[in-house]
Amino acid sequence: MQATPQTTRIGFVGLGIMGAPMATNLLRAGYRLAVYNRSDRPRVDAVVAAGARRAGTPREVAANADVTITMVTDTPDVEEVILGREGVIHGAAAGATVIDMSTISPRATRRIAARLAERGVAMLDAPVSGGELGARNGTLAIMVGGAEEVFTACLPVLEAMGKTIIHVGASGAGQTAKLCNQVAGALNNLAVAEALMLAAASGLDARRVLQAISGGAAGSWMMSNIGPKILAGDFAPGFMVDLQQKDLKLVLEAANDVGVAMPGVSLVHQCFNAVQRAGLGREGTQALIKAYEMQHGVQARA
Amino acid sequence: MDKHRIGFIGLGIMGRPMAGHLLAAGYELVVHDLDRTAVDSLVAAGAKAAASPREVAQQTTLMITMLPDSPDVEAVALGEDGLIAGATAGAIHVDMSTIAPSVAIRVNHVLGQKGVRCLDAPVSGGDVGAQKATLSIMVGGDQATFDEVLPIFRVMGKNIVLCGPAGSGQIVKACNQVLVAVTIAGVSEALVLGAKAGVDPLKIVQVLSGGLARCGILENRGQRMVKGDFAPGFRLRLHHKDLNIIMRTGNDYQVPLPVTSVVHELFTAAMGKQRGELDHSGLLTVLEDLAGQEARTQPTTEA
Repeated sequence: MQATPQTTRIGFVGLGIMGAPMATNLLRAGYRLAVYNRSDRPRVDAVVAAGARRAGTPREVAANADVTITMVTDTPDVEEVILGREGVIHGAAAGATVIDMSTISPRATRRIAARLAERGVAMLDAPVSGGELGARNGTLAIMVGGAEEVFTACLPVLEAMGKTIIHVGASGAGQTAKLCNQVAGALNNLAVAEALMLAAASGLDARRVLQAISGGAAGSWMMSNIGPKILAGDFAPGFMVDLQQKDLKLVLEAANDVGVAMPGVSLVHQCFNAVQRAGLGREGTQALIKAYEMQHGVQARA
Repeated sequence: MDKHRIGFIGLGIMGRPMAGHLLAAGYELVVHDLDRTAVDSLVAAGAKAAASPREVAQQTTLMITMLPDSPDVEAVALGEDGLIAGATAGAIHVDMSTIAPSVAIRVNHVLGQKGVRCLDAPVSGGDVGAQKATLSIMVGGDQATFDEVLPIFRVMGKNIVLCGPAGSGQIVKACNQVLVAVTIAGVSEALVLGAKAGVDPLKIVQVLSGGLARCGILENRGQRMVKGDFAPGFRLRLHHKDLNIIMRTGNDYQVPLPVTSVVHELFTAAMGKQRGELDHSGLLTVLEDLAGQEARTQPTTEA
């Protein structure tokens, strides 16, 4: 049976930059919501003010929910909020569902899903792409791993938060698809940086070059999005370098597991390493250009 | 000073001949390994067998470990039946495995709290160096402990250097593995390029071995590589393991390793092709696959 606002209570753990607007969209769609966040922030208060019920632990969230969503930073965080002493696993009833929307290790995902299955709790991995803007506008791309019937039952819940929602395979497959997304994203970023660097070093007006190539075969969401930011010297995150590095580590680990070489990713991972070394880990990923600027002593910015 | 009674844990391709040299030099030896055959062969040569690392530690004043990877060293040193459960204050632990520097530092720290003095002392030189007792040994730890163990190192190796405090040996070994991996990749690309352009790769090996490009890989492995002889030696999968450690270490210290990272991925490709049991110079085959060209010498063109 498909979830509906009348029959399905939702729990939400992790009200960060992404989680808070996603939870707000669930409230807007009419769902009853219990929420938990590690720290009290104005963001959390705003979600509560919009109608969510505040819980003291992830366990308490799950005890009051048919579907519990987790949206936290990294693999150990997901393990803690789901399997930890006050974790979701201790509150969720048999027949309930956990949807983890964080970006974490596919291997760890399968392990967590197996632990939940022992208690009769289903799990979907459903990481997202689209950033803060996509979370706010409810236009996230969501890639889902897990059993088909669980996906179908939860689809209306996901539709309250995203637009492109694809069931890609069994448990862990959503995370692997997200890692593919990170491969293409990071290398697109590198491509934009090298193109702008060549333009600038050759004495061209990088702004005009960007304008000229954005509409052609090399154009991409990444180019249209970060190209202008780079040229404007705007390095505020969007998506932080430190988090990008966490994801690329997961990519290389997953690629290692299946024995596929990722020379491009490994190189961009090292370029970001140089950016982190320069103390810029909390800037947006467009700061990748600075790895090139450091090598050449030339600014790509017009 | 009285001779140490030595414990030796890990009697693999490397450990077995190393332990053998210690016996031959007249040291009393207590050994442990999960492989019964390896233990029996050393017992036949005069060693005593112990059932666990703990028992080894109870019967010896200096314990050497020579194990495959970080988790193995952690388990043997710090596990329930590990060295830590049997070692007395003042004893010495020398880990000659190649493991993550961060793990070496941690193991040293935990054992140090029990009064055990520690050296990390990974080696270079492969199975041949172990058999001939010509290993290079790079050591991390304090000078006094190093001086005390030096006569024992000299039984197993030739080029023995105290590199710095705890962890330094593993760091220098990591640097060694970076250089060897990148060199293998470089030699491989050169040989494939020459071969596809029609030059007998054996000639390339012969000529370059005398020039600025001369190196250990060309010297020790070049002739065998162009004959397609990839019998190990140092197994490719172990070098891949070392590169995993190195890439993490680069991140830990925030040192970009762009060249190593690409070479690491070529090793990953070799693993994906099930070539982990080849000698690490078998990386050549990955470059050959990319070029659609084997870099093999033609017997007819040999002088």
